[in-house]
Amino acid sequence: MNRSDLRPILREKFPPERTYLLPALHYLQEEFGHLPDWALQTVAWHLRVPPSEVYGAATSYSELRIDAPGSHVVRVCNGLSCWHSGGRDLLESLSGRLKIQPGETDADGRVTLEETPCGFLCPMAPAVEVDGHWRGRVAASDIPDLVKELT
Amino acid sequence: MSSYTQLHAAALASMAVTTRVIVQVGHCSQSVGAVQVAEALRAALSGRSEVQLVIAGCDGACFAAPQVIVTSPSGEIQRYANVSPRDVPSLISTLPSNNTAQQELPPFVKGGRGDLPQFFTLQTRLLLTRCGQIDATNINEYIASGGYNGLNTALSQSPEDVIKTVLDAGLLGRGGAYFPAARKWQGARAANDNPRYLVVNAEEGEPGLFKDRHIMEGDPHMLLEGALIAAYATGASQTYIYINAEAHLSAQRIEMAIIHAQDAGLIGEDILGSGFDCQVTVRRGAGGYVCGEETTLLDTIQGNRREPRLRPPFPVESGLFQRPTVINNVETLSNVPMILSETAAPVRPEPVEGHAQSESPVLPPFVQGGQGGFSSLGLDTAKGTKLICLSGTVQRPGLAEVPIGTTLRHVIYEIGGGPPEDTEIGVVAVGGPSSGILPPTELDMELRPGMLHPSGVVMGAGGIMVMPEGIPAIDVVRQLASYNAAESCGKCTPCREGTPRMVQVLDRIASGNGSHTDLEELSYLAEIVGAASLCGLGQMAGGPINSALHFFGDELRKLAE
Repeated sequence: MNRSDLRPILREKFPPERTYLLPALHYLQEEFGHLPDWALQTVAWHLRVPPSEVYGAATSYSELRIDAPGSHVVRVCNGLSCWHSGGRDLLESLSGRLKIQPGETDADGRVTLEETPCGFLCPMAPAVEVDGHWRGRVAASDIPDLVKELT
Repeated sequence: MSSYTQLHAAALASMAVTTRVIVQVGHCSQSVGAVQVAEALRAALSGRSEVQLVIAGCDGACFAAPQVIVTSPSGEIQRYANVSPRDVPSLISTLPSNNTAQQELPPFVKGGRGDLPQFFTLQTRLLLTRCGQIDATNINEYIASGGYNGLNTALSQSPEDVIKTVLDAGLLGRGGAYFPAARKWQGARAANDNPRYLVVNAEEGEPGLFKDRHIMEGDPHMLLEGALIAAYATGASQTYIYINAEAHLSAQRIEMAIIHAQDAGLIGEDILGSGFDCQVTVRRGAGGYVCGEETTLLDTIQGNRREPRLRPPFPVESGLFQRPTVINNVETLSNVPMILSETAAPVRPEPVEGHAQSESPVLPPFVQGGQGGFSSLGLDTAKGTKLICLSGTVQRPGLAEVPIGTTLRHVIYEIGGGPPEDTEIGVVAVGGPSSGILPPTELDMELRPGMLHPSGVVMGAGGIMVMPEGIPAIDVVRQLASYNAAESCGKCTPCREGTPRMVQVLDRIASGNGSHTDLEELSYLAEIVGAASLCGLGQMAGGPINSALHFFGDELRKLAE
């Protein structure tokens, strides 16, 4: 997709008003997995918002991604309940097996490993999210299979 | 245009009197296979018209998820905890229509984590009566149980009378500030400027919370009804429901509920023939604790960065798009239908034609579900119940509903079952990162609005996270402080620079490189950040620090020196 493909889609989906900025950014992220520069610029044109302000908003929300993540995204919850019921060990184990630090993507671009502040699954602690799907009550013994699934 | 009586009669008539197999599918239970259980049941039950498969939300017994509840037409209820798809064949074999209802139950029923019945009997449930019982995707089940009667009652009164009823009932906002909900409606009404807006704060971005999700997933129409009543009282013609970026299931069920309510004439123009118009739109957040702060939320909807506004002007005067705006939390609004229904003649389920009224209830049990009781519960200064999100080192983590004023001990030890055997409680974090931490000796505190302890411990929105003994208090504080540092939006310098500085000092103490001045510096930072920040995130960021200094001062001092 390029600018000229995106513009008619934006025109159809979102009235050209600033209040549709977040819905438009959500659409981009769903479509591309992140927010490419050219697409942000196209949204700016369509909504008549300065590109600098679109970029400003895009970088201010924690669920929006400017950089493309790996093919798989694994997020380990580091909220209090998860962290102290095994979450910390899960993250270490994943980091060791995938040979990447939290926040990094492996060399092949296959897996991105991240920490996330809370998955709101505290009673299911510890929780790990794999490609947008949360898994609760994750045990250390689940990690080898999960890593196999990802690589 | 149907009247409420017609809607209610039609809803009752649509209720099939069958065995119901209720699968609780919510954000929590999805993570442990509830969808797979529902699929296995759907396959196993296909072609059996005498059994109805119901997809409900979760009832809060998260430790028992995934749960399946079977209700027979004669009113027997059987609960199955921690069900997996493998259990489905034996579960099906116990269904009443096989005439084996009385047989010995399969072993997994007795499994589960902790004792299920006790978890419920120790609570006082007003808001959660339908959650996990009714089909969350079927408006008729809500209406049949008396739903939208509160809206109908409100529309027959003047907006001023509705405001008075809710003020008199003593409903305080459940988002953490406990401001009288209807006072906001009054304020926006007095602004006398059109259009006015109602914004439902369903951001629920505070670590440790999952209560609003339970309501939206399990009883979405209760929230819609409350929002419509608030919109009517405020004179708002447009309602925005602002749902957390990650709460996909909540958004899905609310969106479906909106469509069904529109079709029933409960949203849109001339609602229930009253002349009142209101549209309801869902907006999604995009991540960030500060988005739940009400002025930040408004700027987010307007397409700006996530930063709070300077107040005054307050949102009731100049809020969304600079118009008078009321912002209420999900739990707050969910209390409203009940309050209005209390003043009305209750809608009693009438016998459905063809089913003679017998001693055993003909309709599913939730139809008789509790209505009312709000004003008789809680404290004189704060009426009703509060949803509490309990997690961490307890045997029965989950969502509990208790009268305001219940002690922490009751919630943690009675409802939650206390810590597992051979474990003791070390630190309890109450109210999330904008509150503080407590030692196990302080659990007789009552959960109520205002400060639970002057060092900055508050009930907040109702999150309680229990940490086992052996976890150093400094680890817990550091986690809360680093959360605040990461979530600081950067608008106010004291918060932007001060919150990471708190983490630095805590790290220095934890690594053994601290000095005796570090504790003073922490307390100084907490004071500055609290005094010089625009929004609650900064104002309350000192809570974890100050409460740790108060309750765990010796421990910290030993580390620092």
